[in-house]
This record gives sequence, structure tokens and C-alpha cells, in this order.
Amino acid sequence: MSYILGFFNFIQGLGANVMMPIIIFIFGIILGTEKGKALRAGLTVGVGFIGLNLVINALGANLGPAVEQMIKRFGLSLSVIDVGWPAAAAIAFASTVGMIIIPVGLIVNIVMILTNTTQTVDVDIWDYWHFAFTGALVAISTGSQMMGVIAAVLNMIIIMVIGDYTAPGVEKTLGLPGVSLPHGFTGAYAPIAIVINKIIDLIPGVRDIDISMEKVQKRFGVFGEPILIGTSLGIIIGIIAGYGIKDVLTLGITMGAVLVLIPKMASLLMEGLLPISDAASEFINKRFSKKGKMYIGLDSAVGVGHPVTLSVSLILVPLTVFMAVLIPGNKVLPFADLAVIPWMFVLITPVVNGNGFRALINGIIVLAVGLLISTNLAPLITIAAQNANYTMPSGATQISSICDGANPLTWLIVRINDFGWIGMAVIAVVAISLAIINRKRILKEAHEMEQKA
Amino acid sequence: MKRILLACGSGVCTSTAARVKVEKILDANGYKGQYKMEQCKIAEVPAKSTNFDFVISTTMQPDGVKCPFVSGLCFLTGVGIEKTTKEILDLMKK
Repeated sequence: MSYILGFFNFIQGLGANVMMPIIIFIFGIILGTEKGKALRAGLTVGVGFIGLNLVINALGANLGPAVEQMIKRFGLSLSVIDVGWPAAAAIAFASTVGMIIIPVGLIVNIVMILTNTTQTVDVDIWDYWHFAFTGALVAISTGSQMMGVIAAVLNMIIIMVIGDYTAPGVEKTLGLPGVSLPHGFTGAYAPIAIVINKIIDLIPGVRDIDISMEKVQKRFGVFGEPILIGTSLGIIIGIIAGYGIKDVLTLGITMGAVLVLIPKMASLLMEGLLPISDAASEFINKRFSKKGKMYIGLDSAVGVGHPVTLSVSLILVPLTVFMAVLIPGNKVLPFADLAVIPWMFVLITPVVNGNGFRALINGIIVLAVGLLISTNLAPLITIAAQNANYTMPSGATQISSICDGANPLTWLIVRINDFGWIGMAVIAVVAISLAIINRKRILKEAHEMEQKA
Repeated sequence: MKRILLACGSGVCTSTAARVKVEKILDANGYKGQYKMEQCKIAEVPAKSTNFDFVISTTMQPDGVKCPFVSGLCFLTGVGIEKTTKEILDLMKK
């Protein structure tokens, strides 16, 4: 293992822009992709990396100084810029753990299927980055890549079990039969929603409240359009920073541009990874999908369109910005990840059975806590970004993300390692117990199905 | 020239996967160069849909879509691609 990690350390020394194309090319060849196609895929990933880097630089270079001014004038302590999940994904894939996450993730999935500890064939290879992200942060905080890999594996096991457990709700409320959502970000909020939902059930009066979300989508629709969100946030920040008219408008247009361009760059990254993820998902789908009742594990993006999910997320865009200013101890200025709030709700919505009021309460709680988590993880994320050759804006500004930077499960796994190996052992016991409970349920179900048949 | 909008949660991941596969299908059916595609977030679809001939989405249909709506979930699961392919090719003929 140490030789392998040493080899990866060497390639990583070349910098993410060079290393990722090489790694993707090698993976492509191993998985039997045609040479020309593998080469193009690798280079496309390189383009995505460089593109993302350029846009994040534009974000830092323009927003950084404005944020400094804002802090000087009003003492607003929002010094951590939310660079968004695309940058977080790029940082995760560029880490040492990220380089081996695709084969490691496939092995974890296969072992879990063979031991009946999961019913999900996770073809959503791209989203392995969430596990790599946790792993990368653990590797930095513990100084051990090995601990990072173990953390990523345990993270994945927990998420796979959550995916299985929530699959019936996904079928019922989201109308997606045969699909589970073993998604590192979305999955983390399901257990929290279950607890909050139970608590609301106990409060007389409150438990009967429901808000109709029908009209909301129309009225709050603008909050779903990055070009408008970016520009208006830019203008507001410019005004608070005390800029002149010209600079206010420039900041507005630039921030709008950043929010539109980030997904385009991330989409190049995804396009480059596609041949690899296609080959990997075909490999696993063909060999392991014929055992009893199985789910296909997809990106929770497929569930984002639920009206409650979309509406509640739109309402939460302005609310999150307010909360960021009001919550004591928060340092994160929400920006790029205002677009991924719907991901939090994909599994919350089925848990609360499509109740708009409960979804909203859930959202306010997880976002308020999420901002503090994101603040807490910012130093580690900033180091991870520097390791991935991202140039940081000058001064003391840090970066974070509201997507995985605010992920409670990631935070738990990272911070429990502050207690040394005992922390990791606790997580391991939890993950393995969950897997064993899941196994019992799967075998019981299979037994019942057999008796019926 | 047909204008096709591809939507998913973020306009990044699953819509890219669907786009690459739809492009392959269209090119194989002789439509190469006769279409233009754009990716976007599902929340933008109601506003953008007026400028497109049809939309393919990997997630649910929101209110207020003003053009034909095709579910592209099959391009992720691999189940039912033929039916969706037919649906798309029919829309191309219109």
C-alpha cells in the first residue's frame, strides 16, 4: 500500500492540471476504453480543471477585496468565500485519496453486494468525490493518507446503508421506482430529518401545520437563476463595501459571470470523467444486478425537481444570506453553493412526506448549523485547495463550501479524528453495525419474497 | 435547426451524461449538425423553455414548462432507452 501511495504522491507532485489527465487516461485504458477516446477524456478533465481554476481566481480576485472592505467598514466577519461544490469536487478528485477513490469505491460496492450488506448497485461514480472529500480532509488533519482512505470507505458504507433505507420513500414520494440515492451530501441529511420529523410529531398544533408550496415556485423563481443571483449579490456586496458606481456594477456583472461559468467548467470535468464512469458502471451493473431486489444508485440530482424540494430551496436562498450575517460565529459568505440547496432536500422531502412546513424547518436548522460547520472546516478545505494547486486570493481569506463543507457527516468523521485512532474506531464500529443491521433486513426481505413466491 | 434544452439538478452532472448519449443517438440517426443543445438547472427550465423546441430532463417536470418535456432518466439507469429514443426522434421530425 505505501508503495502505491508513494507512486501517487509523485504523480500528484506534477499538479492537478497535469496529473488528472494522466490518471484518467490510465484508468480509461485499464477499463478498455479506446486509446484516442481515453486521451481526449483525460485532456477534457484537464481543461475542466484549468477552467475552474480561472473562474475561481476571478471570484477570489474580485470578491476578496470587496469582502475585506465589508469587514473593515461594518465589522461583518464573513471572511470565508463559498467557492461552491464544483471546486470542492475538483479539490477532492485531485487529492491523494481522490486519485484512488474510483477503484476503491467500486471494490466497496462489490464487497457490500456480495456480503448482502447493500441492495444498491451504485452507478453514480462521479459522486464518489463526496467520499474522497471526507478522506482528503481526514488525511490533512491526521497527516496520514491511510486514515484518509479508511475514512472515505467508512463514509461510503454509511451512505450506502442510508441509500437502501430511504429507497422506499424515494419510490413513493419522488416516483422513482428501483432507484436509490447513495449520495454523500443528500444522504447525510436523511437521519437528521428523521429525528426532526419525530420531534415535530410530538408537538401538538405544530404537527398539523403544512404550507402549500404551489405558488412559491413562481414567486421565488428568480432565486433559481444563477445569473440574477450572482449579479444582485455582487451589487449588494459592492454597495456594502462602499464602492463607487462603476466598481459596484463591475462586481455585479463579474459575480453573475462566475456563477454562470462555474457549472460550465464543472460540466467539462464531468464530460471527461464520463467514459470512465460509463465503463465502471457497465462493469458493475452487468455482474452484480441480478440478485433479488436491487436498486440502481443514482445522483440525487434526479430528485431535485420535486416541487416541495425546489420551492423550499428557493425560499432558503435569501434566508441563508440573512442567516450568514446574523448567526454569531459564522464566517462563511454564501455564494456559489446557493445553487445546491435543493440537494439537501432530496431525501428530506420523502422523510417529511412532502410537507412544506416541515421541510422548511428542517432546512433552516441544517443550514444554520451548516454555516457553522462550513466555518469550522474552512481551514482544512483551504489547505486541500492549496494541495490541488488552486491559487488562493491574497490576504487571510479562506474558502469553503456549503455543499460538502457544511456536510454534518463529513464534519463528524473529520472531527472525531481529533481524538486519534479511537475516533476512527468509533466510526468503523458505527459503519459496520449499520451494514450488519442492513444485512439482516435484506435477508429477511429476501426470505419473505421467497415464501410468497 | 432544433433547439434542445437538457436539464438536471445542477445543469452539470446528469445532464452532461444525458447530453452525450442523446448526441450519439441523434448523430446515428442522421441529425448531425441539425440541432443545438444547451444544459441548465431544472429551476431555470420554466424561464428558458420558451426558446427551445423541447426539453430533456433527468429530474421531475416543474410547473410552467412551455415546450414538450421528455424524461431522460433512462440515460442514467439504462432501463427503457428505446422508448425515450423514439419519443425524441418523433420530436425531431416535427
